[in-house]
Amino acid sequence: MQHIASRVLDRELKKGSAELLVLSLVEDQPRHGYDLSKLIESRSGGVLTFRVASLYPLLYRLEKRGWIQGRWIEKAGQRRRRYYRLTAAGAQVLASQRSTWKEFVEAINRIAGVEHA
Amino acid sequence: MPEWPRRLSEEIRQHLDDEYDALRARGLSHDETMRRLAGDLDELASMRTRRIESAALDLRYAARTLRKNLGFTVVVMLTLALGIGATTAVFTVVDGVLLRPYAYRDMNRIVTLMETTRRGQIMSVAWQNFQDWRAQNEAFEHLGLYRGMVLNLTGGEQPERIIGSLASSDVFKALGLDAIAGRAFTPQEDDPGAPRVAIVSERLWRSHFGGEPSAIGRTIALNDEPYTIVGVMPAGMRFPSRTTDVWLPLGLFVRTFPPDRGAHPGLFAVAKLKPGTSVERASADMDAIARRIEQQHPMSNADHTVAVTPYADQIVQNVRPALVALACAVAFVLLIVCANLANLMLARADGRLRELAIRQALGASRWRIVQQLLTEAVLVAIGGGALGALLAWWAVAAFVASRPATIPRIDQIAVDGRVLVFTAIVSIATGVAFGLAPALRATSIDLLASLRDAARGSHGGGRRLRAMLVVGEIALALVLLVGAGLTVRSFAALAALDLGFDPSRVVTMRVSLPNARYPEVARWVAFHRDVAARVAAIPGVDAVGLNSATPLEGGGSESEVRYEGQPPPRSASEEATTCLFQAATPDYFRAMGIGFVRGRAFTERDDAAAAPIAIVEEALARKFFPGADPIGKRIAFEFTGGHNAAARPVWREIVGVVRHVRHYALVREPDNLEVYVPLEQLPIWFLDRRPTMTLFVRTPLEPPQLVASIRRVVSSIDPQIPVFGVLTMAGYVGQATEQPRLNMALLGAFGAVALVIATVGIYGVLSYLVGRRTQEIGIRLALGATRGDVLRLIVGHGMALAFAGIAIGLGGAWAITRLLGALLYGVSPHDPATFAAIAALVAAVAFAASYLPGRRATRVDPIIALRAE
Repeated sequence: MQHIASRVLDRELKKGSAELLVLSLVEDQPRHGYDLSKLIESRSGGVLTFRVASLYPLLYRLEKRGWIQGRWIEKAGQRRRRYYRLTAAGAQVLASQRSTWKEFVEAINRIAGVEHA
Repeated sequence: MPEWPRRLSEEIRQHLDDEYDALRARGLSHDETMRRLAGDLDELASMRTRRIESAALDLRYAARTLRKNLGFTVVVMLTLALGIGATTAVFTVVDGVLLRPYAYRDMNRIVTLMETTRRGQIMSVAWQNFQDWRAQNEAFEHLGLYRGMVLNLTGGEQPERIIGSLASSDVFKALGLDAIAGRAFTPQEDDPGAPRVAIVSERLWRSHFGGEPSAIGRTIALNDEPYTIVGVMPAGMRFPSRTTDVWLPLGLFVRTFPPDRGAHPGLFAVAKLKPGTSVERASADMDAIARRIEQQHPMSNADHTVAVTPYADQIVQNVRPALVALACAVAFVLLIVCANLANLMLARADGRLRELAIRQALGASRWRIVQQLLTEAVLVAIGGGALGALLAWWAVAAFVASRPATIPRIDQIAVDGRVLVFTAIVSIATGVAFGLAPALRATSIDLLASLRDAARGSHGGGRRLRAMLVVGEIALALVLLVGAGLTVRSFAALAALDLGFDPSRVVTMRVSLPNARYPEVARWVAFHRDVAARVAAIPGVDAVGLNSATPLEGGGSESEVRYEGQPPPRSASEEATTCLFQAATPDYFRAMGIGFVRGRAFTERDDAAAAPIAIVEEALARKFFPGADPIGKRIAFEFTGGHNAAARPVWREIVGVVRHVRHYALVREPDNLEVYVPLEQLPIWFLDRRPTMTLFVRTPLEPPQLVASIRRVVSSIDPQIPVFGVLTMAGYVGQATEQPRLNMALLGAFGAVALVIATVGIYGVLSYLVGRRTQEIGIRLALGATRGDVLRLIVGHGMALAFAGIAIGLGGAWAITRLLGALLYGVSPHDPATFAAIAALVAAVAFAASYLPGRRATRVDPIIALRAE
């Protein structure tokens, strides 16, 4: 795997996994963008961070596809925030992405295992 | 998307505010906090460009990938530059010559008319026949008459020779061009007694009158006579030739046309078809008229008809076959380039399978990846196209600068916006062509399977596709090379032709004496005799001759010829023998190195007072006097009293017999029999219409040096007479062989490029194969295969591809070289020797290209190869 630039891989991983991460995080409860970015950073131990410029367009795209739904929520003494929750369609996508990801990681492991044997 | 920018900016603003508050809460200063946020702000600033997101990203990603593989990229771009450059250059020429519109109105309705016999012999139009055509035809809106001429323009510092034309008013109407100043000719100016008026070209108007409107009404001196300028034609008026600078009204010349229907005084017709009338219908109409005239005038018009040719076809008829062949050749080169690059991309895509598989696994759609790979291919193709356009610009400039005389509209050939649009389209199409197959294939494979296989190597499908591409490349290259080989053989046959004269060290130039200045024949002859004598006296000149015709140049006049005692024609339609008659000075034959078969040359004593004599070519002697000695026999080609039973021949005694001289062309010279008479015994046809004489000087001197001396000599006799048309005989031969030489050079170059690219293709595929099969080879060696076995395996694989390509290519060449027929001389389009030689050449090159990877395979160390797994 030496010939694949690690930077490219890194970016692809992030890009491909971003959807999965966002969908997972809004599975249990609605969350707003800032919340999501902080959660990703803290739960990955700082390995994964999302820039503003990619996170919000991603949310927009996911909403456009009908996988998440956003609503402006007003709270007393605060600015209104847009909270996203998982839709039924999003739940299906999340399930399938989880299993694809699992297969993929296993495949990588198998090869890595063979190569190192 | 009306909502999203506002919504997004609100969310993002909140996010940044939250982040700011959070950082400040952790005790960071305002400045430090802003520094932390700077990265986000920068990215946001560039978000606008990111909206065309995928395309721009693909582009950047592609550029980076290409930069990372610089060697690969350079090879691909150079290959592309070659292919696209050649295509662009050929398109530039095809566009300039065939496609670009003409300045004339309704070009597709403009036709030219000539008289021909039903056997295809071409003649100019008899004046009386033309008048009948005009009265009787129903096909044409306008029917005009013209004749090219050479004029001496005097009044400036130096006398100049310019190209002119007499033209009836309908010529301008047929072409549909309006004067940019003044007017065209009126119908009154077609009639005898027309005033001495002239229309000049825009070029002459600008060079001699500074483009001033006041030029209208001024006079110019042509052939020593004053003409009043009545009009200026725009630069788009290139009729009859692109160098025509002045038009004179038909009416001034009508009285000089022979009153006899059998005479064809160099006139030609141009017409505009009525709307909706086809060329075929016009031809049928004219044929019916010709038949009526034939019935009324069987002596002069037996078997005559009229050839109606679209003017556009006539302009390009000589170069169209060559251009079509070149366009095909260059398309082949481009196809080979595409096949080769597709091959390279396929090999590289294999190397990137894992990267692509991972991207696919991470959610990139198949279309996204295809898009990405295509972007890469198109980006390289555009780079190659830009280089190619430069290459084409340079090649076309060099081509135009070499002033090929046989390419019409050469001055309009240039790489311009139109051509660049073509290049851009070709570049993008090329990128898609060589990028699409690899991209589709790279994404059509099962990704998990591919991940498993990635370590082991290639897929059957990929290998088959690559093999097919190589076979295709070899087949195309072979077709091209066979075409090139045929043009080489054809050129060799041309070069070996017997011209009938020795072109080396002969310089020619022309002098044209206006009738008005030299009305008496004796003075006219004396002038030329003087010139010959004084030029002969120039130190370093070996021999000097003058002749009324120039070999290979194709001008001159023909007339019926008979021998004394010839039985009268059995029927009116029996074809008379015609001869090309020429008036020459005694030393013409020596100056040109024309060989005598029998008899003698002219001498100073063969003057007007002596008995009329002639020198004939051997074919005429054989035809008229088979088995007999022609010397002392009499022939006649001049007749007094018109073309009818009462015509009285002027008999001339044959004093010499010479070899045939190629006159009209090097190849496909029409049957013509040559007769020479002494200048002093000028043929009666020349009495009213004097020819422009050509001076032939055999000398080791360089032309510029010689021409200066000759100008001084001519000027000392008459300062009003220009010397022009300086060209060596070798130059005439060069012009005559220009097209075959160009065909050979260009097809040869394309063939060579094709062969090199195809060779690289074979080599590349086999090298790749050896690399991928290292392990298999190692096992074979470990199991006891010899190095020879391995070499045979690899070379055998290469040669299998080569032979498949050669077989397909030979079939293709057999089918397609028929199209070259019109370009070939002295060699069949199916010449077995050429086919065999090219097949052998391609096989040999393929062998060499296979042998190198084969050798490398034999050096595989079985232990290392096995461990590689």
